[in-house]
Amino acid sequence: MAAKDTAYEQAARAILCDCGCHPQSVLECACSHAQEMREAIAAEAAAGKSAEAIVAGYVARSGESILVVPKAEGFNLLAWLGPGVGLLVAIAGVIVLLRRWRRGSPADAGAGSAPAATDADLARLRRAIDELR
Amino acid sequence: MIATVGHFALFLALVAAAWAAVSSWLSTVASGRGLARSGERGIYAALAGIVIAVSALEIALVTDDFRLDAVYHYSSAAQALPYKIGALWGSQAGSLLLWSFLLAGMAAITVATNRTKNRALMPWVVTVLGLVMTFFLILVNFVASPFASGPMRPDGVGLNPQLKNYWMMIHPPTLYLGYVGFTVPFAFAIASLAARRTGDIWFRTTRRWTIFAWFFLGTGILMGSYWAYIELGWGGYWAWDPVENASLMPWLTGTAFLHSVMIQEKKRMMKVWNVTLILLTFCLSIFGTFLTRSGIISSVHSFATSDIGPAFAWFLAIVFVGSLTLLILRLPDLPAEARLESVLSREASFLFNNMVLVGIAATVLFLTTFPLISEAATGRKVTMGPPIFNIVNVPWALVLLFLIGVGPLIAWRKATAENLRRNFLVPGLAGLWVFLLFVVLEGRSAAKDLAAMGRSALSFDAATFLDHLKAFYPPICFGLAAFVLTTVAVEFARGVGVRRRQHGEGVLLALARLVERNRRRWGGYVVHVGVVIVFVGIAASSAYRKETVQLVDPGGTLQIDGYAMTYDGFRLEAVDDHVGAITELSVWQDGRFAGRLEASQRWHPNMLYPELRTAFHDAVAAKGGDPAAYRARIQGIFALIARLERTAGREVKTPSTEVAIHKSFSPAAPQRFGEDFYVTPLGVDPISGRANFRVFVNPMVNFLWLGGLVFVLGASICILPDSRERRRLEASMALEDRAAA
Repeated sequence: MAAKDTAYEQAARAILCDCGCHPQSVLECACSHAQEMREAIAAEAAAGKSAEAIVAGYVARSGESILVVPKAEGFNLLAWLGPGVGLLVAIAGVIVLLRRWRRGSPADAGAGSAPAATDADLARLRRAIDELR
Repeated sequence: MIATVGHFALFLALVAAAWAAVSSWLSTVASGRGLARSGERGIYAALAGIVIAVSALEIALVTDDFRLDAVYHYSSAAQALPYKIGALWGSQAGSLLLWSFLLAGMAAITVATNRTKNRALMPWVVTVLGLVMTFFLILVNFVASPFASGPMRPDGVGLNPQLKNYWMMIHPPTLYLGYVGFTVPFAFAIASLAARRTGDIWFRTTRRWTIFAWFFLGTGILMGSYWAYIELGWGGYWAWDPVENASLMPWLTGTAFLHSVMIQEKKRMMKVWNVTLILLTFCLSIFGTFLTRSGIISSVHSFATSDIGPAFAWFLAIVFVGSLTLLILRLPDLPAEARLESVLSREASFLFNNMVLVGIAATVLFLTTFPLISEAATGRKVTMGPPIFNIVNVPWALVLLFLIGVGPLIAWRKATAENLRRNFLVPGLAGLWVFLLFVVLEGRSAAKDLAAMGRSALSFDAATFLDHLKAFYPPICFGLAAFVLTTVAVEFARGVGVRRRQHGEGVLLALARLVERNRRRWGGYVVHVGVVIVFVGIAASSAYRKETVQLVDPGGTLQIDGYAMTYDGFRLEAVDDHVGAITELSVWQDGRFAGRLEASQRWHPNMLYPELRTAFHDAVAAKGGDPAAYRARIQGIFALIARLERTAGREVKTPSTEVAIHKSFSPAAPQRFGEDFYVTPLGVDPISGRANFRVFVNPMVNFLWLGGLVFVLGASICILPDSRERRRLEASMALEDRAAA
């Protein structure tokens, strides 16, 4: 891991470059507007302001949308936690689906004994071997 | 004159497309063969009208007819010819016209190639294609006309400087081929439901269309990334910009469809899911076009904004609800005919693959649209930057990488212990070895991260845990990549070995015959290899990137990660539409001279300011004369811009940078293979030449583009005509015709 970021880096990484380019932090964006913002943030940091204070100043002036990512609080929690919850729901959904599919499958109905190969199975096997060639 | 021709041609095209939809639909209720044929001819007529309109607009662009708004705003007299031609898709109206043109072309090919087959499906297919064409033609006729015009203007505004790049000529049409291409499989899916022919004909007929659309969308995404990388100057290639996301989503669901359709082919399962996937893919393609062109969520690509939003929203709603209703009505026709025997089977692994692909698409959709949701619900605007996308999508992507290795080799129905050992023991060990190797190379830092993860797990601090877990993503990615590549290598070696034994062929001949005999399967493996290489490039260039920002005077040197860069000098220029400061650089890599580079910072003066226009033209005229006078004039423009900017704001200039990249492919430095030394001049003083350089060392970033080429190769193998697939389709058609009779 990198060494602890300075106040300037922390603030410049959290604040969005509102130039209308890619949604990127002031630290990353390559446009001239970002350069001006970097200089302004560096000046504030040099004056002894903490990263939190610098960021709070920008939010007070320009609103929450000046943050690269919204704070994890209130309604925004939906964005932070939604995909993770979605992931759990998706996994649960797939497990339920797999269990339902397994129920009534030939393997269960056959009580452990392998079903005899039908002509269709043999034809498929021949095709599969053919594919390998 | 040109505007009149264009208007008239587009109106005729609209009438023809609407007729195609109506008459084809009537033929399904009135069983009129003549009506169906008439509908098909309507598609050809619409194509003819659109071709005339496209030609008219191109003529207007090339001949500088600045009466047309689409020419005035996106072209200029001085614009190079390729960019005049490409300005067609620079404007919103022009890009909608391009959409209509590509769709009409594909619809005409679909009609032509199916004139003697699929007769039960074709009236419905033409109805759907006709309706989609009608929608886009309504837009270009009445909402955003490319032929809207005013008085003749002396010159045009010109294309945005960032778009003046050769990728502008290739990337948008490629992406559009992908977006539009999904309309054909969608039309066949709807037709199969409407005509109650829900067998496998619809997706077998459109298999190559689907691969075609998916191929172009994927290639378009990679091209867009490369364009961003070389043009925007921030050293990266993907920023989860809404428009990037818009192209990724249908590609992901399209990829899910290409896989799950195999389950339907082999096991007759997932019929409802496959129709749902193609429906989602088509809707996301429309949504992508909508996002790109409407500017609803502000982003770099939204150079055009207008009132097409409500029309698109209605169209999307009608398509989505209408298709879903039809699907629900036809559910009884879509029973699953087989069941799952084991979770350890290819069916199950494909199900997980679909879950991950659709999961990533859903996550991206949710986060991309979250600013709108937030604004609607709370009135607060928020921004969704890259970090929030990466939290979930990076782990998703690693799971996907694992499944890429498992899916093709695990047995259908039920994997036995022998099957697992035979296919996965060696690749598993290879993956584990590579993972451990990278962890050991990280050494002390990996141990620290592991300890921090342990501490945060004990204190239930999820944020810190995830923060330190990130350090292990690259080794996990490399380990999984080794796992997948070994599975593919083993599979190829086995296939070649069988052919050599049975047919006595040489290695290369056996390999060629192997691929030729089952293009989809072996082409698919090549695509997988390409995707793995892309993943490796992303992981390495994100995790091990080095960066520095330094002020350097001419003659000075900058050092970073074994590189030394000398700033030899600079020169000023006034050409085309900009003034630029070009920095001349020499680069040494590990003590060896690597080459000379030129990176420049450009300002595009706003010609609407008379004093700027005059100064710029004077400078251009001074070129070739006394070098000192030429230089002084350009310095004067820089000063003038700086002075005007204080009162008029930043619109007096549009800045852009031309980055310089040194690519390492030399066998002399194998540890740097695929690495880029990337220079962006953030600012250059036109008097002293003092420059603020931002320099990146991006390890293995070229693997991303090399992987893209492998992807293109694999997809090209898959898309070639395949006699085996054709026989299967013919068998399905014969079966369904007998059933219908």
